[in-house]
Amino acid sequence: MTETINSNSETSTSPFEDVCHQWHQATKNLDQFNQLLTRDAKIAQTPKQLVWALNKAKLYRYVPRVAKDKQHRVPLLLVFAIMNRPHVLDLRPGHSFVEYMVNHGYDVFLLDWGIPGLEDRDLKYDDYTLEYLPRVIRKLKAITNCQEFSMLGWCLGALISTMYASLRPEDGLKNLILLTAPLDFADKEAGGFTKWVNHPAFDPDRIVEAFGNVPGEVIDTGAKMLKPVENYVSNYINLWENIEDTSRVEAWHAMNTWVRDIIPMAGAGYRQLITEFYKENRLMEGTLELRGERVDLSRLQASLFNVIAEGDHITPPCQSERIMDLVGSQDKEVFRVRGGHIGIMAGRGAEKSTWPHIDAWLGARSE
Amino acid sequence: MSEKPEIPNIFDPFGMMKQMRDTGMENWAKSMTDFVNSDTFTAAQAETLNAWLATSTPFRKLLEDTLSKSMQALHLPSTDDLARLADRLTNIEMRLDDMDAKLDQCLKPQHQEHSE
Repeated sequence: MTETINSNSETSTSPFEDVCHQWHQATKNLDQFNQLLTRDAKIAQTPKQLVWALNKAKLYRYVPRVAKDKQHRVPLLLVFAIMNRPHVLDLRPGHSFVEYMVNHGYDVFLLDWGIPGLEDRDLKYDDYTLEYLPRVIRKLKAITNCQEFSMLGWCLGALISTMYASLRPEDGLKNLILLTAPLDFADKEAGGFTKWVNHPAFDPDRIVEAFGNVPGEVIDTGAKMLKPVENYVSNYINLWENIEDTSRVEAWHAMNTWVRDIIPMAGAGYRQLITEFYKENRLMEGTLELRGERVDLSRLQASLFNVIAEGDHITPPCQSERIMDLVGSQDKEVFRVRGGHIGIMAGRGAEKSTWPHIDAWLGARSE
Repeated sequence: MSEKPEIPNIFDPFGMMKQMRDTGMENWAKSMTDFVNSDTFTAAQAETLNAWLATSTPFRKLLEDTLSKSMQALHLPSTDDLARLADRLTNIEMRLDDMDAKLDQCLKPQHQEHSE
């Protein structure tokens, strides 16, 4: 009788012990959950050097990992959007687009637009495209001693890159890669943003007048409100469910660190984005002028690789498609990927579904 | 009979939300996405934003004016003064950048000669 009781106590636990175990595990998980929400992960760790700076903008060059004779001849410039930090391109070691391209022999440069201050409230796309970007490219050419270069623009960075490529086709741009590029706003019902800003009561002037620069919180809330349940509920439930899975937690933490790092957008640039692009669709209509120069897409001659995310709710595919008919490039290709605006480049599948295709296309054109 | 009855985890703060998700999260997410894309939400959002700006702007302006006047009285630069100064510095930076590029261009042949 005594033996039986002992044997039972070894194989099963009492309800009280179960509750104690649950309590212990729950407090441990809650503590980790809290830390993940409040502390930053280490991101953007690929070694790089600052090679140029102007106002808040900085140009970085990544330290090569491939012998000089095995490197691609044409350097690659990465241009990210102006309303987020560019660290999503270099999220974490072992899962970084920058690291991937450096390992595949590219001389990679990254343009960080920086965080605009009150003194930058008058910055417009004219300035980004015709003051900053040409200077960045001039420096890049001086450093690399190469008169040709490739450019990869993501989101609003793709918009700036497209305008630059159209305005300065003779400047040495050999290859242009556009990622989820918001260029065509003809469909006023496409996606939440387009619909919201086209409402007659939505007045960007009032927002800019009130804030100077549009606060990052306003932009961040707008982006998250496009998918409120996914961003405000599922995101955290998924984390809680996988909190004991180290690799998933690391991925979530790195992404959340980037998402939380919100920055304001220069007031004049915001006003221009809403009025001249979203509302009046000037780029596609051929009526856009930057510093008095008309942006004519047919002047864009560089080889073009247009990456479209099929599940993109921020830049719906229809906003990136029509450019293919308007550019003057002879060598052009559309590449469609399953996934969302950020997921196609920073999600878990990016390493297999997107990066190798960019490398294959660009590698063949970088010698 | 031999299986141990499952004891609910009473310390799982997301348990209810998880259950909710399992039963209808996808529908909830879809209906919320449809809602934020609706005309009703678009109009309500624009009007709420306008109402908030209309009520908060006078207070913000008052605060800014008071702060600016206080700084002036104390002979200290205001935010606008600093912004103007930063703007001028950026212009100087641009000129320096151009000069730097020209200097590079001038020195390039000399560097090439030396390397040869």
